Amino acid sequence: MDIWRGQHSRTAVIGLAFVAFVVCCVLPAAYLLATTLGAARSAYAVVALDSRQQGLLFTTALLGLGTAALATAIGTPLGIVLARVPLRRKGVVRVLAGAPVLLPPYIVALAWVNLGWDRPSEWTYSLPAAIVILSLVLYPLSMLATEVAMRRIDGRLEEAGLIVAPPGRVLRRITLPLVAPSVIAAALVIFVLAVSEFGVPGLLRVRVYTTEVFTAFAAFYDFSRAIALSVPLLVLCVAVAAVAAALLGDRLVTTRRSLALSPVVFHTWRRPALASVVLVVAIAVALPMLILVREALGARSLASATGAVDAIVNSLLLSAVGATVIVAVAVCLGYAQARASHGVRHATQALLVVLFAVPSTIIGVGLIGLWNRPGPFGGLYGTDAMLLLAYLARFVPVATLILAATTQTVSVSQEEASAVSGVGWLRTVRGIVLPQLRVGVAAAWVVAFVLAFGELGASILVAPPGEATLPIRIYTIIANTPSSNVAVLALLQSAVIFGPVAAFGAVASMRESR
Amino acid sequence: MTAAAITLTDVTKRFGSHVALDSVSLAVPAGTAAVVLGPSGCGKTTMLRIIAGLEVPDSGQVALDGATVSAAGRVDVLPHRRKLGFVFQDLALWPHLTIRQHLDFVLGSMALSRLERDRRAQDALALVRIEVLAGRLPHQLSGGEQQRVALARAIVREPRVLLLDEPFSSLDAELRADLRSELARLQRALSLTMVYVTHDREDATALADCVIEMRAGRILAVHRHPTRGHDPA
Repeated sequence: MDIWRGQHSRTAVIGLAFVAFVVCCVLPAAYLLATTLGAARSAYAVVALDSRQQGLLFTTALLGLGTAALATAIGTPLGIVLARVPLRRKGVVRVLAGAPVLLPPYIVALAWVNLGWDRPSEWTYSLPAAIVILSLVLYPLSMLATEVAMRRIDGRLEEAGLIVAPPGRVLRRITLPLVAPSVIAAALVIFVLAVSEFGVPGLLRVRVYTTEVFTAFAAFYDFSRAIALSVPLLVLCVAVAAVAAALLGDRLVTTRRSLALSPVVFHTWRRPALASVVLVVAIAVALPMLILVREALGARSLASATGAVDAIVNSLLLSAVGATVIVAVAVCLGYAQARASHGVRHATQALLVVLFAVPSTIIGVGLIGLWNRPGPFGGLYGTDAMLLLAYLARFVPVATLILAATTQTVSVSQEEASAVSGVGWLRTVRGIVLPQLRVGVAAAWVVAFVLAFGELGASILVAPPGEATLPIRIYTIIANTPSSNVAVLALLQSAVIFGPVAAFGAVASMRESR
Repeated sequence: MTAAAITLTDVTKRFGSHVALDSVSLAVPAGTAAVVLGPSGCGKTTMLRIIAGLEVPDSGQVALDGATVSAAGRVDVLPHRRKLGFVFQDLALWPHLTIRQHLDFVLGSMALSRLERDRRAQDALALVRIEVLAGRLPHQLSGGEQQRVALARAIVREPRVLLLDEPFSSLDAELRADLRSELARLQRALSLTMVYVTHDREDATALADCVIEMRAGRILAVHRHPTRGHDPA
């Protein structure tokens, strides 16, 4: 029963958010698909008959499969550790082990390129290198998915196994089969994000679809070829993401836990578990940062940093504004999703996962096609608003998923109690629901800010001439600037990203020690 | 006098500031059916979990057949090496395994020939009268059938001690009485040492050689059942 039926304030607020969502997130991809259906056949002949494109498809698929496999191999054991092994200050450990996913992948690629050798080896610019780097950045997704799935398992199922079998066998035969759907879904999401990635293959000179789309548009100004190249990638990403969403069911937006027991026998794994976390964090975070620091120490002056002040300020400002707008829209959509019927919730969740999977370069091409036109709508093109639109298009889905999960923790009966007391929807949301979403809102804002601050694939296509964000600045100066200067900028960017992450880690640590 | 199969000596367990068990000492002789009776939160389940090795005592020690299996802050013998059967309150049946696979999983940890494994699985299914359900998954069974599966899983490896944590609490009175007499039959047939946790006096009357009354983490009294044998000290 809809207790708020007929409340105009609800209709207006959620309706507005929905319109913003459709315009920013759905229209760019829809525009691409619509254009494709009406495009000239010649453009498709080029794409379909070009044997090089078959190689492109092969390389793209290998990048996705390799990354999904390696990231799952690293992330799943760590997820098991976080869920079952009682480590001290687990909140801090979780933040540290999850931090790489917030680091823009091209920063790690930059460290890889500067990894100790005088001359680039055959591995420096290679597909395996791209796979390793993307795996080190994306494994936290597998880790967190595994941890959440394991926490949802009734600990007694494992205890019943531990009465009759050793821990390793219980893990293999009882625990892992139960979390398998979540692990597979996470692997599919990683696959999609890997094939959507632009910065790492671009930097390591690996030819994949995203780099070809960028080249077709930015180097050859061939918009119809860029669109034609986008479609296979878009279809692949959307299809795989849809399978992932179906596998996940309502796991993404439900934070309900069953008996979160940590069977006592897993306590004996504490030391090897901690050692494995330290090793992975050292390789994924500490090592790249140390390489960049070493490289930056060779800079003769900080001219590159001072010259990039505009880009840094621009990035901070745009990311902050973008994150705020993203969260404002996502709060409304997350609330609507959490309070929708089971079927609608499933469908919208699948849509959000699919939209999050749309590659950044495709969003960039879609936004250009949509807004680069004469008339009143074209007024935005060539302004910083295009960067904000790119951020909204990319990150509203993920922020909505976070906030829908948070909203579900607030029981409907609290709103019902308010409604029967004669309080309207707007006041109920403001006074009852929102105060309970504070942590979720803060988390969504930090995630949106960090992701926007590192965004490259769409930004580099839609940024107005003469305007640059820090990622664009770094990416464009790599070819003609000493690596030490580039390293200085990369470290600056990492510092801005890890600032909020460190703050969250400190808060988590304080909460645990209470 | 029969030797003690289970011995607890001054066992204390705290969860934060809550004292779940307060210097509990107990000896259950081999072959005895002991029923632990008490209100919710009195420490019955914690005591059972400590005997099983699923919790570690903060102080005191636990021995099975005279050998120490855990003591203050440590587990000397892991749960699966204690030769116990455990029936959980919510049964904890594995949703992805058929009934036969439940038993195979348990027997898979033992060095047995395939023939012996098959025999034991068949025997366990026959003992609790669910042979025809072997190929089904837990969610395809009724509540009573699920209880029988949990019992079969607990006895299939022929344990010396059977621990039961309010196993029939969710059943209606008729089914409950039925399964109670089934359990009493099994306990006698297999000469099991049994510790049965409940807050229902009827369970105690029907099953117990002795009744252990608990309150607030302490043992208040131990009563010998008039119609049955042994007396825990």
